[in-house]
This record gives sequence, structure tokens and C-alpha cells, in this order.
Amino acid sequence: MSSNPACQTFIPMLSPFIDGELSPAERMTVERHLVACQQCAMRAADLRAESGLVRVGMEMAADEVDFKDFAQKVLARITPERPPLLERIRLSVSELFTYHRGMMVTSLATAAAVLLLALPLIMRGGTPAGYASQRLEVQAVSIDESAHVAPVVMETESGDTIIWTVEHTHEKPGVADEERQEELDVDPDADRTKPRQDAPTGGEL
Amino acid sequence: MATDDLTLVKRARSGDQRAFKLLLERYQRKVYSVALGMVRDKEEALDIAQEAFVKVYKYLDHFKGDSSFYTWLYRITVNICIDVLRRKAAARGDPVEYDDSLKVDSAEANIGALGTKLGTNPQKSALRKELAQKIQEALEQIPEKHRAILLLREIEGMSYEELARTLEIPKGTVMSRLFHARAKMQKILSEYLELDEAKSGIGNE
Repeated sequence: MSSNPACQTFIPMLSPFIDGELSPAERMTVERHLVACQQCAMRAADLRAESGLVRVGMEMAADEVDFKDFAQKVLARITPERPPLLERIRLSVSELFTYHRGMMVTSLATAAAVLLLALPLIMRGGTPAGYASQRLEVQAVSIDESAHVAPVVMETESGDTIIWTVEHTHEKPGVADEERQEELDVDPDADRTKPRQDAPTGGEL
Repeated sequence: MATDDLTLVKRARSGDQRAFKLLLERYQRKVYSVALGMVRDKEEALDIAQEAFVKVYKYLDHFKGDSSFYTWLYRITVNICIDVLRRKAAARGDPVEYDDSLKVDSAEANIGALGTKLGTNPQKSALRKELAQKIQEALEQIPEKHRAILLLREIEGMSYEELARTLEIPKGTVMSRLFHARAKMQKILSEYLELDEAKSGIGNE
């Protein structure tokens, strides 16, 4: 087998040596021999190559197989009969909580948060304030001439019609415009242009 | 973190199929690889792998838990493989292939051939498909019990202690069978690589 008689002792130790299965003392003895014996060093390298080759070669062979249905086929063989629907639902729910507890807790927390945020919005949408909530129906439109009203007709999104009757004072359009402009300008001398009715008029000094 | 085997076994025992499915998915590839290395035929290896899991499920109550789940699983797998091989041999009228008294080939491979050509840690990318095929052919030429040890060591990375427990043999026997299996594999693979090199050499000229 080997020309060097000393190697006969070491050759069977090379396989456990590369597997890390020797005692520390044995390992040191083998290592010392490998430093001195070129042939045994090459034998150890061959063993490592062969070991890697078998491992990688079998991995490559397994890569060629699609294991997608493998588990289902086995499970089909070990499942004697279909359990009742309620039992299946109970099992699914309990398995969800057993194996995906983290995910379930996160999902429930997210759902609760979304509900908390969405609920006020939904409620607000359900009881709208203002005209829309009263569902007004226009029965008739009449203009009271003595009141000098001007109807403003608006249409809502749902097709309803809203009519505002806006009371008109007998002001000249130009004066009204001027007044509005002055209010915007916040002119401290505005009183001089048009005395307000509710403001103290004051008397002559 | 992944749930450990023993916890999954306990859950599977109480009827939780999802737990068993997780065990199945954890080991299906490696169980298939071991079976393929033993019988070489893809379809047969898949059938054996399925059968092994079905058997494991069936006898789950008998699993004591004093050894690891996977040593038990591989023991069942190897036993099914050996049964299949023996049935096939008997059908062909072949003598029983192997017992421990069988003479092993003591002729040594060309020293340094594998290590020099492949390095001590061959990678998938560097391995050609033909060589992966050749590994399966080479495995077929190794006595079945030696083959089982080699496969379990290289595919699952079992320690000698685990191999001894899985195959229910003394640790010394593990060491000796592994040594002979590797010597034989080295010889076949180095011869193949030399032949392959010679062929490609002629092709290049």
C-alpha cells in the first residue's frame, strides 16, 4: 500500500483526521507526520477533495429535483380522512397563532390602528352637517318683492337644488364696493366716508 | 428562530400536521440525496424518501427522543434503501451483496490525483455535470453499508458518534467503513479524472 512502513499507521488515521474526529494527542501526532511526509500530506488533500466532491456532487443532483409537491404527496398519504369543516377552521386558526404569532399580532394591531383612524372619518361622512344633512326638497320658489330678495340658486353634487334668498339693501352698487374695499384696507378714517349705524355718531365739538 | 426538531415532533404527535410538514421540508432534500446515493435512480429515490417520511409519521409515537430526530429519520431511510436494493438483487438472482467479512480493495489510488486536480474544497461552479454523474456511478461500486456511512457523513455531516447511533454499529466500525469507502471512491474518481484528462489532452492536440 505504501513504501514507507511508518505511513501504514497513519493512513487509517487520515480519514478521522480530516473529519476532526481524532483526540488532540492523536491529531498532533498526525500533524507532525504530515509535515515530515509529503505522501501522507497528499493523501490528506485527496481525502478532503473526495469528501467535498461527494457533498457537492450530491447537492447538484438534489438541485435537479423540484420539491414543491413533495410535502403534499407525503401528507396526502398520511392523512386518513378529511376532518370536518369546523375542525379544519379551528386547526388553521390555532396554527396561524402558533406558527405566525408575530405576524398575526402585527396584522391585528395594524387593523386596529386603521380602524381607529378611519372610524371618525366614516362617522363624519355618515352625518354630514349643513344643508346636505337636511335633505331639502325645493317645493316652490317665490320672491317677496317688498323684501327685495335676490335668489341664489346652487346645485349640490347629488343633484339637489339649494336656493338662498339674499336680502338686498338699497345701496348703490358703487358705494357698497367702496365700503368693502375700505374694510379690507382697514382705514382708520373710514368713519368719515360712511358713518356706521351702530357706531356712536358723536356730536360737534 | 426555527423551531427545534423535538418540539415539532411533539406537536406532530398531537396531530399537528403543520409541524410535521416543517420537519419534512427541513429534511426532504437531504433524505432524497442519501436515497439517491444509495439507489442511484431518481424516481426510486423520491419514492424511498416519501416512504421514509410516511414511516416516520406512522411510528412517531415510538420515537423516544433520547436520540436526535434526524438520526432516527436517516436510520429509517437507509433501512428502506437496503431493503429495496436487496429485493432488487434477489429479483435478479444476485447473491447478497455485502457483509462485513467482504474483502475490501486494498489497492491505493494514485496519490495526490484528486487533491491536485480539484483542490481540497471543490465548489459547485467548478464541478461539471459529468463528474457529478460519475460520483453516483462510483458510489454504486461501494458496498451498500460503506456507501450509507459515506453519504451520511458527507451529506448530513454527521459525527462518528451520530453515525454509530444511526446505523447501530460501534464507532470503530464507522471509522473503518468510512476509511474503506473513501479509499474506493478516491480510486474510482482519480482514475476517471486521469482518463478524462487524457481524453481532453488528445482533443486539444
